[in-house]
Amino acid sequence: MTDPMPGLTGPRARHGSTLGQPLTRRDGVLKVTGAARYAADNHPPGMLYAVLAVSRVARGRVTFLDVEAARAVPGVVEVMTHANAPRLATDPDEKTNPFAFRLNVLQSDRVRFPNQPIAVVIAETLEAATEGAERLAPRFDEEPARAALDDGEVFTPAVVGAGSPADVAHGEVEAGLGAASHRVEATYDTPAQYHNTMETHAVVAAWDGNRLSLDLPSQALAMTQMRLGQLLGIMPGDIHIRSPFLGGGFGSKAGVSGPQLLGIMAARLLGRPVKLVLSREQAFGPVGHRAPTRQTLRLGADGEGRLTALHHHTRTATSSFDDFYEAASGASHSLYASPAIRTSHDAVRLDTGTPTFMRAPGEAPGSLALECAMDEMAEACGMDPLAFRLANYAEVEPMTGRPFSSKALRECYEQGAARFGWAGRPLAPRQMRDEAGLLVGWGMGTATFPALMFQGQARAVIRADGTGLMETGAHDMGQGAWTALAQVAADGLGLPIDAVEFRAGSSDLPDAGIAGGSAHMATAGMAVHEAAAAAIARLADLATGDERSPLFGAGNAGVVARDGRLVRRDDESRHESYADILARAGVAEIEGRGRAARDPAAGADYAMHAHGAVFAEVKVDPELGQIRATRLVGAFAVGRVINPRLVQSQLYGGMIWGLSFALHEKAVVDRRSGRVMNANLGEYHVPVNADVPPMEAILVEEHDPYVNALGIKGVGEIGITGSAGAIANAVRHATGTRVRSFPIGLADLLA
Amino acid sequence: MRYFQPATLDEALAIRRGNDVVPLAGATDVYPARAGRRAWGDPTHKDVLDLSRIEALRGIEDRGDHVRIGALATWTDLIRADLPPLFDGMKRAAREVGGVQVQNRGTVVGNACTASPAGDGIPNLLALDAAFEIEGPSPRLVPAEAFFTGYRATACGPHDIVAAIRIPKREGRGHFVKLGARRYLVISIAMVAAALETDAAGRIVSARIAVGACSAAAGRLPLLEAALPGAPLTDAPALVEPRHLAHLTPIDDIRASAGYRMAAALALVGDALADLSRPAARVA
Repeated sequence: MTDPMPGLTGPRARHGSTLGQPLTRRDGVLKVTGAARYAADNHPPGMLYAVLAVSRVARGRVTFLDVEAARAVPGVVEVMTHANAPRLATDPDEKTNPFAFRLNVLQSDRVRFPNQPIAVVIAETLEAATEGAERLAPRFDEEPARAALDDGEVFTPAVVGAGSPADVAHGEVEAGLGAASHRVEATYDTPAQYHNTMETHAVVAAWDGNRLSLDLPSQALAMTQMRLGQLLGIMPGDIHIRSPFLGGGFGSKAGVSGPQLLGIMAARLLGRPVKLVLSREQAFGPVGHRAPTRQTLRLGADGEGRLTALHHHTRTATSSFDDFYEAASGASHSLYASPAIRTSHDAVRLDTGTPTFMRAPGEAPGSLALECAMDEMAEACGMDPLAFRLANYAEVEPMTGRPFSSKALRECYEQGAARFGWAGRPLAPRQMRDEAGLLVGWGMGTATFPALMFQGQARAVIRADGTGLMETGAHDMGQGAWTALAQVAADGLGLPIDAVEFRAGSSDLPDAGIAGGSAHMATAGMAVHEAAAAAIARLADLATGDERSPLFGAGNAGVVARDGRLVRRDDESRHESYADILARAGVAEIEGRGRAARDPAAGADYAMHAHGAVFAEVKVDPELGQIRATRLVGAFAVGRVINPRLVQSQLYGGMIWGLSFALHEKAVVDRRSGRVMNANLGEYHVPVNADVPPMEAILVEEHDPYVNALGIKGVGEIGITGSAGAIANAVRHATGTRVRSFPIGLADLLA
Repeated sequence: MRYFQPATLDEALAIRRGNDVVPLAGATDVYPARAGRRAWGDPTHKDVLDLSRIEALRGIEDRGDHVRIGALATWTDLIRADLPPLFDGMKRAAREVGGVQVQNRGTVVGNACTASPAGDGIPNLLALDAAFEIEGPSPRLVPAEAFFTGYRATACGPHDIVAAIRIPKREGRGHFVKLGARRYLVISIAMVAAALETDAAGRIVSARIAVGACSAAAGRLPLLEAALPGAPLTDAPALVEPRHLAHLTPIDDIRASAGYRMAAALALVGDALADLSRPAARVA
């Protein structure tokens, strides 16, 4: 394997543990100098370029492709269509597991969504392939598109999200509503959103007999390897995927996408390496998105402002041919105390690509609607939004009665409110203006995300020279895995971080679990921690069992690993270096293997969630309705923080996505054709620096003995929750207008 | 797709006469327009006439009574040019066209020739009484008001090439305000360009005001222009009335509704005049 990070120069050596240190990114220099190699940067000898032709219709059949015209372009080598595409060992429509999404890879002439691939043109140059794709002049037998939430037949899916029941109830919701002094019923609409990773999906595929070598950005190396093995009819171990860096994943790179599989198929068809990269507009369809939701919340509260009932219902959409349901109502499961809670979902089928996990799936739209509804109820009760949330603070998980493994949300509210200056906020809206006459509003929202953990593995080695090696197939999507996991490795191995070689991002390393669900640090981090502990334990056995070692006989007292030495716990004058221990034992290196998984007993007994509180200030032009978020303060309790710099960066990123959800992001779908009308970053707005206000992310101290031995809860997604609601509530506070359709636009605020 | 890259204007005109080509200067409209068509299911592309090698089309020149902006002059060239206050609005528009990368490539003339209703340069060219130097079978000078003939339509014929824009040098100051769904990097929902001359007493001598993104082609506000002369500049914002904009025909699109556009345009015209009534330092 080639080193994915050649020439890596790490930060200064530090003494003592690196855990909790704000190290800068170890891959930062590679990124800013352009030396970091992303999938599409690879050009193996003899490589061909593949360009997709995609469908302009949402539903129907391909009736004609001018393959001859495309082939006539000089440089074009082959045109792959449903007529000649290789058949696969496993039908890509077969559901081998719930997360194996059905793929549209030219196995028939059927079109199921706009931008579905209908042909691949492969050529010696990118220009020739592009020209060939232009000349295909496809014709279609077109059927009407089902494009909006009102266009389909409503049904209740069996499960939503990652496998949760669609309808869950605790207590008597209708009775609770009936007995309430105040009732709020409101419906919130959120649009379809597309992941829009900076790096569009790409693959460079090279076959050698039945062995396959891939450069392919992946959030789930082992799962992707397994799925590709099934589809291609080869052993997963014969597939090598390199994915050292991802230009963002956000859930859309958790599995292999149809276009990437087409690139692999083209390479097999032609017996030469092939590169295929999606254009920006082609990424609006075949690589997943967040489905639209229409959420209806019904809340009841008593005279003291305590909830008597909470019903959160979500209508969402999936594709015509597969199943993924945005579990938005799940946000109401665990956040606020109420004697009666019901969360329900139903759905329609639309002619779109299949939606998938995206940036806090479920929680992001669900938290937005819930936090708005909580504010509407606070207003109905005449209470301050923070006081109302504190009055409904859940001391135990409300629907199950289980205790929380830890929950420092009260401290988040306190620290966030103090830093923001929440006290003194006028209760009534439209009370504040700045010196320029702009309306000013303050809003808040509670952040929450489950503290998940998957299964992962790692391998640690201590070498004869006293240095260490740690291997795990972890994924750096920009979040900082290269750095934070190396910190855990250095800490576990008792070595300065520069004395540990850290390998990740390749499928020939131990499976680190998927980088998703905000669980990668907990999962891969614990695997690394366990592997290091196993290696140190074997080293300690060598030393304490050898009468020539100063550590002989320390078995009961124990030793600690520190700065490349084992030190007797009860007598620090007795110690020995790793190199000396291995040299005397005549061992070239020792290895330790680690496995990580949630302790099932703790997982059953405790509710595990990260929490936070976000406070937002917005300013609104009273004549034009222009909205600017001007301040965001978040306080988050996320368990153990391995690297505060990277964690804050993750939280800022999440808060920016929350801003995006509230004010910017929206796929505008044409009702007639089903196509996305703004399939480009010029008109599908994601925030740029100029849109981002001054932000703070406060890390609230929290120790959790149950989530895992390191106490890590995960920070990847929680920042988006709470933030979108806080901004929406601030807009209401500024203007007096409650907008329930997102993103909030200028015109929504003018009467 | 064929790609022509001539070195002289004569060669370019010959290519234009013999082929159905789309002229390209900075490619900042041609490229996204192509991506947009492809997104809409049409991957085809017309043959391209790339003008970027024709040195004679570069630069911004002071020609005594007018400033001449060559067909290859970029927004960045405009921002960096030493120009009188009349061009302040044009420069503001230049800073709001996309990001710096787009400003470095995109051209003022190309923006005009694309003739998008949301083209940021166009209201300024109208307010500045610009004229278009058209080369072709019948070379001519066309005033801006006659150049923009409709939605993405201009007086530049299929065998013509716009070689430059001429802007007469006059007294007064220019200004430009743009409204989008966010602060920067956004396509206009509505925009206003103004060029005002005032006397020593601060009274308006002449006013030329144009609104963009609120009709198929940007247009001047003749009723308001007639109402302003003689009034103190500081009173001007209060003189703007809905009837001055009544001839505009905004549409609903994915960026805003027609009703919002009309209300916003009214507010923006007032804002532009209010900005102009403040000291120059405030609006530069």
